[in-house]
Amino acid sequence: MSLNVDRAGMAFTFKGGMLPMTVMELASADPEQIREQLSGKLSQSPAFFQHTPVVLSVEKLDEPHLALERICAVCRTHKLLPVAVRGGSDPVKQSAWALGLGWFPPSDGARSRALEEVPPIEPVREAEPAAATPTASGGRIYRGTVRSGQQISAPEGDLVVVGAVNAGAEVLAAGSIHVYGALRGRALAGIHGDTLAGIFCRELRAELLSVAGTYKRMEDIDPHLLGSSVQVTLSDAQLGITALD
Amino acid sequence: MAKIIVVTSGKGGVGKTTSAAAIATGLALRGNKTVVIDFDVGLRNLDLIMGCERRVVYDLVNVIQGEAGLNQALIRDKRVDNLHILPASQTRDKDALTAEGVEKILDTLGKDFDYILCDSPAGIERGAQLAMYFADEAVVVTNPEVSSVRDSDRILGLLASKTRRAERGEDPIKEHLLITRYNPARVTEGDMLNLDDIREILAIDLIGLIPESEAVLRASNQGVPVTHDDSSDAGQAYMDTVSRLLGEDVPLRFHEMQKKSLLSRMFGGGRR
Repeated sequence: MSLNVDRAGMAFTFKGGMLPMTVMELASADPEQIREQLSGKLSQSPAFFQHTPVVLSVEKLDEPHLALERICAVCRTHKLLPVAVRGGSDPVKQSAWALGLGWFPPSDGARSRALEEVPPIEPVREAEPAAATPTASGGRIYRGTVRSGQQISAPEGDLVVVGAVNAGAEVLAAGSIHVYGALRGRALAGIHGDTLAGIFCRELRAELLSVAGTYKRMEDIDPHLLGSSVQVTLSDAQLGITALD
Repeated sequence: MAKIIVVTSGKGGVGKTTSAAAIATGLALRGNKTVVIDFDVGLRNLDLIMGCERRVVYDLVNVIQGEAGLNQALIRDKRVDNLHILPASQTRDKDALTAEGVEKILDTLGKDFDYILCDSPAGIERGAQLAMYFADEAVVVTNPEVSSVRDSDRILGLLASKTRRAERGEDPIKEHLLITRYNPARVTEGDMLNLDDIREILAIDLIGLIPESEAVLRASNQGVPVTHDDSSDAGQAYMDTVSRLLGEDVPLRFHEMQKKSLLSRMFGGGRR
């Protein structure tokens, strides 16, 4: 009945995934100026510059011809790996391809935030920071209902929510997420790539589940599991949802 | 000092102004000196619901901008002695509201009144945020349908973070759930969310349940808050709500389907 593809014989499979990616929004096309600023940053936070993949965004630049090769070289000497270019004119696209980089169309609108202004995984102010108590292990415990529009995160460990996560709310953790209540919003565990992280909840109604970038939408979840107490783990690069009782 | 209560919801059209008018009227009828303020600058409605639209001279924005004194702008209700209305401006922009101006007005009113009700505009923009910012208690008006419940959830998040009490780390705002337009028959048929589901999602105390009622529409169009219609189910439900706000323990009514009596079935009369 089913498409019986011989898995052992396949060299690869294509998978959709969401990976965290740093976008380097260029405000200047001058490689020397970029070099200067990068040197300053490197001394401030050396941990960030470990062959970190970056996407060079040239949307804000109005230069049809770009010294792309020199800019990439500057990045590499500072341990940043340009993997793609976003935006720019046709010649920019051609030279990106010539350099073996990918090209992305310009982003739609102002959705991307400046990394330095808004750290990506800090709880937003609405999230009642006081209510999320940090634990000694680097995780956090949040008591109460996480409401629509709120975001609660544990950037360094597990997140425990003693209450419900409502539709339109988002919970994130570097480690696992435990919800002692209904999970109706979005839950993203292993946001730094921890594939052993899991999501555990008392009542599954989630809009989105993600472990280390592999995700499932509510549509993809077996309807029989909705409403039950489950654990969500990653096995063979697939999200597995199993009932707990 | 007066107790400041914001009536809010996020979603529009769920009955905020109707509820603010009805609760303010009820509080005044119970002997509390009450003022109700319309924060919906540019889309004012409270004056119509309270039936005082012909007596508006100055408004909230005039007072904030120093063009009129507070006493000049306050309208005394014709039906209840203890009740005053501070209308919104219909011509100005929402940006005319400032936090300092609102605070000053609330401080002044606080000395004279027992209760200040703030009728919030829909949405989560400036007007809504200022209406809730100084509040001690909040009545979150919710209809038994999913989008209203989600918007109320969003508002509850804001109440817990974007208010003076939250910013100063004081005791949190007391949050009350008011369910309006509840129709037990349609809940039974599955057309509407039921009471328990709403309470479970929003996880706050229920202060009242107002049944869907013809009396509400009639009251709005006549400019007489439905609380005055004490023979109607909605009027009684609002009065119950007021009693609970005053700390009394009143059993819940109108949440179950009522069997029609033989007489009403014979004569085809519905509930008023």
